[in-house]
Amino acid sequence: MDGFTLTLWVLRLAFLALIYLFLFFLARALWRDLRASAASAVRSLGRLVVLVSPEGQPPEGASIPLDAVNTLGRDVNNSIVVEDQFASSEHAVLTFRGRAWYVEDRGSTNGTWLNGEAVGSAAPLGFGDEIQVGQVRFRLDRPLTESA
Amino acid sequence: MTASRAWRVRPRLRPRELGLLIVVAATLFCGWVSLASTEAGELALGEPVVLLVYLGLLALLHFSFVLAGRRMDEVLLPAVGLLGGLSLLLMARLPQGLVVQSFAGRELGLGPLQLLWLSVALVLLGTLAIVVRSDGWLRYYKYSWAAAGVALLLMVFVLGEETNGARLSVSLGPLTGQPSELLKIILVVFLAGYLADNRPLLARTSTNLGPIALPPVPYLLPMVAMWGIALSIVIVQRDLGAALLFFSVFLSLLYIATQRVSFVILGVLLFLAGGAVLYNLFDHVQDRVDIWLDPFADAQDTGFQLVRALYAFGRGGILGTGLGAGLPSVGNNLAIPLLHTDFAFASLAEELGLLGGLAILALYLVIAQRGLRIAASAADDFRGLLAAGLTLVIVIQAAIIIGGNAKLVPLTGITLPFVSYGGSSLIANAIIVGLLLALSDQGVEPPPPRRASRRERASDRARQIGGRIEEALS
Repeated sequence: MDGFTLTLWVLRLAFLALIYLFLFFLARALWRDLRASAASAVRSLGRLVVLVSPEGQPPEGASIPLDAVNTLGRDVNNSIVVEDQFASSEHAVLTFRGRAWYVEDRGSTNGTWLNGEAVGSAAPLGFGDEIQVGQVRFRLDRPLTESA
Repeated sequence: MTASRAWRVRPRLRPRELGLLIVVAATLFCGWVSLASTEAGELALGEPVVLLVYLGLLALLHFSFVLAGRRMDEVLLPAVGLLGGLSLLLMARLPQGLVVQSFAGRELGLGPLQLLWLSVALVLLGTLAIVVRSDGWLRYYKYSWAAAGVALLLMVFVLGEETNGARLSVSLGPLTGQPSELLKIILVVFLAGYLADNRPLLARTSTNLGPIALPPVPYLLPMVAMWGIALSIVIVQRDLGAALLFFSVFLSLLYIATQRVSFVILGVLLFLAGGAVLYNLFDHVQDRVDIWLDPFADAQDTGFQLVRALYAFGRGGILGTGLGAGLPSVGNNLAIPLLHTDFAFASLAEELGLLGGLAILALYLVIAQRGLRIAASAADDFRGLLAAGLTLVIVIQAAIIIGGNAKLVPLTGITLPFVSYGGSSLIANAIIVGLLLALSDQGVEPPPPRRASRRERASDRARQIGGRIEEALS
């Protein structure tokens, strides 16, 4: 094997090696990125933003972090207390079941409304959907995450 | 953005992108020397101008991103840059007379033409990434976009010219383009808008068909319409690849939006049923499937392309023959017909071997990961679906054509994103990556609040009146 052929093969192998070096750097960048975002991930599953609240409890514009089960109503034992004259004491329940959010009415007097439609048994909802309890309107939003 | 607000320019360094681009430059330079030396028979540089122009463009993009100061993804540009560079290496070594177009009195061969298209594509990518700051122009006009898409499709049906047995190209004056490349972007924009608006309704079940839960019937119509469009593309345009791509992207987005496996099963069943009917009715569908099942049955005629591609994979082995040393061309004929468009992957796999082929697959995986990350951290449903859909277009297209090259799925004539020769394809994919970069900016305008529907506003008013009556009575 003469010198030129050898050089050529070295070049060819170097080319492949450089492609893999590039892939290695890419993989490292992706890994760091994932680790960073995992570290900064907020434990909350979502949040409820208060859009309209005539009686100020909860205050308009508030962003309430959500757990897997959240009860809404006028009673102080609810996880989200809605002080509104049209809200029942045990009004609605908002649950995260595995991979999707559901809202359910708990036999309230004035009903629970999802995007303007009355909610009967558990109705699925997604981020961006609006819930109305009494005169208070909420929007379900994604949990806040720190930008990576 | 109002004109009165000053354009704030606060440069933001992008060290990760710079580092990756330097590795890309070193890699491509090494490949270029290896190619030129193989062709010259001694250590040579060939014509480094082509490569230098390309690397210069990448550098220009990087520095304009730095100056623009947006917090954008830093991995997509280098990944796309390497794919484009591999394409340049491939086109530079094929017979230059394969495609000749004259611009301003100068005849350009395959290599320079691909450089020209890559430059146009990169400039477009950079412009979109820097300029697009709000998604309103996509979000609010989804039906207009859909109408434009249908118009484009009809234009192809009526004016389309046959290339390689498929009606794809449309000539408008001096320009020839393949509108189905743009159509895939329009499709994603429309689907993202439609699904983001109707997601809760689609996810609700009201009709049950045996074990399969169906959404309310009116919301099924777009699904049936999509299926019809895909079938009509196969029948009228004879473009199996585009049909397969559109339908797969549609089903994936439907699944992402509703998280219902039943829709996907239903869609696949519909697709299989349609495929079976088409197989029996149309010769070109039947040919494709027969070639896929046994390319050696008619190896000199219909199966020729695929047989040659399989030989190319075999010749490549693990390390490949080396750039320029493969057999993509015998004299001035291509060993594999349509090597520069449909079989770009087979020829790269021949010259770079199994390792090179796997590396190309890995690059598409990286694009998939970045795109889906952008989708997952998007601020609302529309942006998430848009980013996911755009990513899936690139990745599914690459999967379909690479699978076709390797006799994994029936061969359909679509391009390998960023690698195949072709202006329409490069530009469409550059638009996609440009939009993804713009969407990845964490600091863009927040999505607009949901507008309450008319029914919602009416029920609000009714409830207020009811409340007042109740107050008066008590």
